[in-house]
Amino acid sequence: MKRDRIAAARAYANVRAASLLVPRDKRAAWTAEWIAEIYHLSHASRADFADSPGASPLEFSRGVFPDAFWLRRDHLRTHGLPGLHAGSAGRCALILASLAATALFVCLIAPDARRALFPLHPARSADLVTISPAGYAGAESPGISLQEYLEWQADTEKLFSELSWYHPTVKNVALADEPSARLSIGLASANFLQLLRVPIPGDAPGSAEPTLVLTQSAWRTWYHSNPRIVGRSASIDGKPVRIAVLRDDNDPLPEAMQAWLLEDPAALQQFSPHARGFAFARIRSSAFPAPRGGVRIMFETRRGVTHVFDCVSLSWLAWQPTSNFLFALLLACLALPATTALPLGDYPRYRGRMVFRISARRWAFLALKLLLLLAVVYLASIALAWGPAWPASTSVFLQVIIAFSTLLFGFRWSLQDQRRRCPECLRRLSSPARVGQASCNFLSWNGTELFCVRGHGLLHIPELPTSWCSTQRWLCLDSSWRCLFPENCAASPELV
Amino acid sequence: MPADAKLSHTAAMILQAIHAGHIYGFSVMQMTGLPSGTVYPAMRRLERDGLIFSKWEQQSIADAEQRPPRKYYRLTRTGRATLEAAWERYPLLEKMIPTPVVERA
Repeated sequence: MKRDRIAAARAYANVRAASLLVPRDKRAAWTAEWIAEIYHLSHASRADFADSPGASPLEFSRGVFPDAFWLRRDHLRTHGLPGLHAGSAGRCALILASLAATALFVCLIAPDARRALFPLHPARSADLVTISPAGYAGAESPGISLQEYLEWQADTEKLFSELSWYHPTVKNVALADEPSARLSIGLASANFLQLLRVPIPGDAPGSAEPTLVLTQSAWRTWYHSNPRIVGRSASIDGKPVRIAVLRDDNDPLPEAMQAWLLEDPAALQQFSPHARGFAFARIRSSAFPAPRGGVRIMFETRRGVTHVFDCVSLSWLAWQPTSNFLFALLLACLALPATTALPLGDYPRYRGRMVFRISARRWAFLALKLLLLLAVVYLASIALAWGPAWPASTSVFLQVIIAFSTLLFGFRWSLQDQRRRCPECLRRLSSPARVGQASCNFLSWNGTELFCVRGHGLLHIPELPTSWCSTQRWLCLDSSWRCLFPENCAASPELV
Repeated sequence: MPADAKLSHTAAMILQAIHAGHIYGFSVMQMTGLPSGTVYPAMRRLERDGLIFSKWEQQSIADAEQRPPRKYYRLTRTGRATLEAAWERYPLLEKMIPTPVVERA
């Protein structure tokens, strides 16, 4: 008996929960019908329903959800989403927000685009630079030889507080009881991670073997995040190395390497002196101020050799996608007046209808549209330019081109869309009709007329600007005209 | 919905059950063997298409029996014509849910 009461209570709870899906005007009757049926089922004799499907109240009440879903779907099909009719401001904002969300999703799933979108790391302070033999472009490819790095270590003490170097390569890593892993490895100086302020868990100072630091993704992909391999000895080209794993992949490491092999200076000297790699340094504040973008340095080694190189700020490189976008935005703003007219038209204060609230809503909608457009273009340009593994210079070029062209097109569209909306309800105006002929009017106008389907007014767009009708003009209609317009016909008592 | 429109077998069974006098949602379920999640949405669709209509039981009857009033369903004239057309399409329908003799007369 108690179980029956509990089942009935749960059935009623199902009805109450599902009733939230039912359109409000039908909710009370719908709930009453289901409750009456459950009551009938709960209080009728069990023998009456012995062979019936869904004879228990709880089982019977499972039908409330499909029923409520059907009613909601049918309601949406006949009435549409509230505030999201075709051509409404809400639908326009929703479409733009969906585009921004899609672009953000693409950025998040593409690793390179994600790095471009979220570039900041505390270790990338202004004094951290990469050393390039040829400006910004030189920072993308290995340009500093091991010999130069070893020479500079002693000779640049006054310029840099720390200096490190790595050479990208691909090696097989052999580990007992595990399959051989082919990893992209940065053969780096021992202080490399220390310079980037990246902690190494399980680091054992004084260990005779060099440390192979795996990234989290390589550890997961090749060793299934097996914690027992950490600290074990592996072999690269027959040389023993000790394995460690980075705490997370959210590090400031400049390249997408799978592992870093940290070699002490003596071991580094056994490599070919002509092996080329990337050099990083921390600028000594007493030597020169940290550069905003890059700075060219010239110095002479003890052997009397003069070197010229550029110090490119890593934090500046990290902000490159944003600065590219801002540059494209500036160009688009400058080019916009040359491609379209900026005025939004003539909206007179006609019979007090264009009150402040209506005007503010119009401007707020334009601002929202522009903000969403900026978000869409910013995210889409990063996803398209930085998502695929192109060289950085190509990505920069592509991002500027994509952002500039899309922003220019988007701004034009925003202004044109704004001019074709009703200033009161912000819906797109419809039914364009030609009015007048240029050669057959005198002190009148000829052009296109559009109207608001809710009867708020008419928009007159002159075909030829004249001194008496130079720009598009909004004509407010009072409420006596409303019954003539499509959206108000059904509701108008006069027409029933 | 035109009377000669083709009904699904489920919709035809529900129309036949209502025609046979099973006028409440749960009794339609009992007669057709379909779950509540199928019967109720199908009845909403039939009502929207004008093949059946619903009414609330009189409050006085429900009060006399000390229970909430139930909602019952009946065929419309179009629903009746549609069902007759469905009998030709589904000849076993009448055998599965026989119509009481009084109703048919």
